[in-house]
Amino acid sequence: MSRRGWLLLAAWIALLALGVMWVQGHLRISGDLRLFMPAPKTEGQRLLVQNIGESPASRLLLLAIEGDATSRLAAMSSQLAAGLGARAEFGFVANGGQAPPAIPDSLLPYRYLITDSFDARPLDAARLGSELEDRAADMASPAAGFLEEWLPRDPTLEILHLASRWQPRAEPHHIDDVWFSADGKRALLLVETHAAAFDPDGQGAALAVIQEEFARARRDSQAKLTVSGTGYFSSVIRDRTQTEATWIGIADTLGMILLVWFAYRRPIFPVLGALPLATGALAGLALVSALFDSVHGITLAFGFTLIGVAQDYPMHLFSHLEPHESPLSTARRVWPPLATGVASTSIAYLAFLVSGVIGLAQVACLTITGLLGAGLTTRYLLPYVVPNRSFDPAGSAVLARLNRRIEALPRPWLLFALIPLAAAAIFFLRPEGFWQNNLSRLTPVPAALLRTDMELRREMATPDLRYLLVASGDSEDAVLANLEGLDAELTRATPGVIGSFEHAAQYLPSAALQRKRQAALPDAASLQAMLAHAAAQSPFEDGLFEPFVRDVERAKTLPPLTRADLRDTPLALRLGSELFARDGRWYALISLYDVHDPAAVSALANAHPGVVTFLDLKAASEQLVAAQRAHIILCLEIATVLLCIVIALALRKVSRVLRVLAPMILTTLVILAVLRACDVSLNLFHLVSLVLAAGLGLDYALFFEHASPEPGEQQRTLHALLVCSATTLWVFALLALSTVPILQAIGVTVSLGVVSNFFLALLLTRERAR
Amino acid sequence: MLATGPAFSRGLEEFELQLRRTPPVTTPFVEYRFSHLLKKPLRSSGTLEYRADGALIRNVDSPYRELTEVSGDQVRITRGSKSPRTLSLQRAPQLRVLLGSFRALLEGHLVPLQQDFDVALAEDAARWTLTLKPRDAQLAKHLASIEVFGSGDRPGCLRAMEPDGDGALTLMDKASMDSASTRTAPAAAAASPTREQLERLCRGSARHAEPTNK
Repeated sequence: MSRRGWLLLAAWIALLALGVMWVQGHLRISGDLRLFMPAPKTEGQRLLVQNIGESPASRLLLLAIEGDATSRLAAMSSQLAAGLGARAEFGFVANGGQAPPAIPDSLLPYRYLITDSFDARPLDAARLGSELEDRAADMASPAAGFLEEWLPRDPTLEILHLASRWQPRAEPHHIDDVWFSADGKRALLLVETHAAAFDPDGQGAALAVIQEEFARARRDSQAKLTVSGTGYFSSVIRDRTQTEATWIGIADTLGMILLVWFAYRRPIFPVLGALPLATGALAGLALVSALFDSVHGITLAFGFTLIGVAQDYPMHLFSHLEPHESPLSTARRVWPPLATGVASTSIAYLAFLVSGVIGLAQVACLTITGLLGAGLTTRYLLPYVVPNRSFDPAGSAVLARLNRRIEALPRPWLLFALIPLAAAAIFFLRPEGFWQNNLSRLTPVPAALLRTDMELRREMATPDLRYLLVASGDSEDAVLANLEGLDAELTRATPGVIGSFEHAAQYLPSAALQRKRQAALPDAASLQAMLAHAAAQSPFEDGLFEPFVRDVERAKTLPPLTRADLRDTPLALRLGSELFARDGRWYALISLYDVHDPAAVSALANAHPGVVTFLDLKAASEQLVAAQRAHIILCLEIATVLLCIVIALALRKVSRVLRVLAPMILTTLVILAVLRACDVSLNLFHLVSLVLAAGLGLDYALFFEHASPEPGEQQRTLHALLVCSATTLWVFALLALSTVPILQAIGVTVSLGVVSNFFLALLLTRERAR
Repeated sequence: MLATGPAFSRGLEEFELQLRRTPPVTTPFVEYRFSHLLKKPLRSSGTLEYRADGALIRNVDSPYRELTEVSGDQVRITRGSKSPRTLSLQRAPQLRVLLGSFRALLEGHLVPLQQDFDVALAEDAARWTLTLKPRDAQLAKHLASIEVFGSGDRPGCLRAMEPDGDGALTLMDKASMDSASTRTAPAAAAASPTREQLERLCRGSARHAEPTNK
């Protein structure tokens, strides 16, 4: 290579380094699954998309501390709770030691507008009389000492009533004032993260804080902390995927370097071979991060998988280098099939760009830019830095012998009929479970973790993760009124249909209900008169209840309580996650506990269209996945048509077009049939891998088709494609060994595709040598 | 008078053997409650029962009927003919400690009380006084001390004092209960015994158990 070539190579690498720095500064990776969801159609889907991973139930983490004396565990629980409560990553933190949310002192008169105590029996003379009678009995009970302080202000015990109404429905056991498992061995805590469940980064940060605070609370104890919950799972799965992907990536890279080194006999080739792909990938990343606010992790995974085709581009140039030809003219020679491959695949991916799913548009943008970048640099830049003398496959005796053996093989034209027939038979015999709709199956949680989760959930009585009711309205107040309208029916559904329920109006009644209660309260004069009469009949001192009269009098004239009044109180924390506005409409979640009869809950919701929607997060997400897949398949169909048109325009002869497309189409059938025969249900990652396999098949076929029947040229093409398929197979066979289902799905599909494509292209596409 | 001997004139362990009783234990009681909220002391009477299954039953039959059953952390209160209310002591730790102390006294399990109270024992021959002062600051806001006056193997009267001077006297020994009743009987209902009289009765309740010691 010339001095100029070395300089150019140095400049290229320096430019790539700069590019990496720019991308690092600008790329924002998001974990928001909504980037990958199609526009929702039904109300249920819309709510699902809004709430996925964000419902309070899904943001709960369950913690258990075990392995020490009960009293020490309790102390650790208290310290951990206090530590976590002070951290910004968490909403509420509960370990049983917290007082139930209470009305702040300054808002105490509002209790008469919040409480439901006087809805059925108003605060009249009869009610007052019976309340005072009860309080007299309370005074003779052991609890008297604790009540005395409040009696003058609150003779009907509204503060206690609200506190008990706001308590968790079923609490774990208390030991030393904190929650413990039934066997008394595990101290239990419940924390709500601000990060959504499907935000592995946010969850990872929250988990790190939990570990940090636990280390502080534990001191020298041997106690151990168990964490569970949806968010924890997403973080665990992400970490596992990353760890395996890193190891596989390192093994892949080493293997590729050795293979390419061996194929071209010089250590510079693995470096040169990596440059076009690196350039393309960087260009793609740069464009995506410039065009979009944030890029989803899945975009990157899909994009890099699909760009993988470009790894082959420089191999075609390298294998066709001849000692007496300048690399530039070699590049010109291999350009037509290469350009056809790049152009047809890029145009095909345009279909994704207009899919309407942001994540897929990002994939298309990344892939098209990547392929174009790699293809163009292979043609216009790589020839200037490639050494012009190299090992020539045309002179290899081994390859010559191999080529002759292949030539001696019969051309299996029967496969054109056999593969489709066999595939059809398999599809017919195994019609069930073609597609995998269960989102959680895509990222299965280890069984041991699920068991722990179920145990902890049983102990802590957390709201149902799958079923949810969502009320909506034009304003915050309208939503609250709608919740109140549902109260009677929900109460009737308890405990047969649902164990219990919880919603925002229990903390903050609608303005209308508050006004109604206000109107029903007696005025100061009549209250005083009634009290004077009732107190005279009771053992209580006369005039004792003046503070009570003052509170009722204030409640009578207060403007209705609003969310703004509750700012910075524990109640606001509860409301925040249960009552919110999205796109101009207000929503309130009704958390359900112990759903025994989902159909009945659904029927309850259906009786109030427009007011409340029943959300089966599992069913809705499955529908959404199915809808999304239908969308992607449509994109793929359009892509296929586009690709065929480009190939037809480039090759012009029907027989050539058929020979080039045959391996790709047959291989797709082979992969589908094999997966089906092994009872694998297809998911999104299989689909993307099928697309990659098809792209590889197209390139193989284009090059075999392009090779002239002259033996030297055939040997060079054979060499190039052996290198291409060997490197690709190495990479994806390692992925196929992964224990992470996503990586495994990609690995198995592409590995099958490489082998099938290579042999089909070799035997069906290549012309016989003359 | 009681000798103000050193606390633990003998070990609490030894003393509790003297009180130890095998459930079920049933004791009638008369309780007077003094409160600044009340026109006059509130008198109630009934039985206290400590069952073999560990449940504590407080059965009030005058001036109204009320049945309180404390079992583990669950409290069930049935007042008159109303439907029972249940509440959990998990959210009322101080009340739980207070009820726990009643149970311990009835059963004669005093040593565990030291976890929540500073326990002092003073003895004078067969008579004894046990003083419990809460350790927990929250409980101390509502309860200054519990004094148990007794004689031999029987607690005779329980005096619970609140920091503001309010409090309750629970007479559990037959002689003092009779005495309290006879003193009120001749007079009109309004002329109930004064707090002073009752306190004296409570402190001296041990004597009634041993008539010789007048």
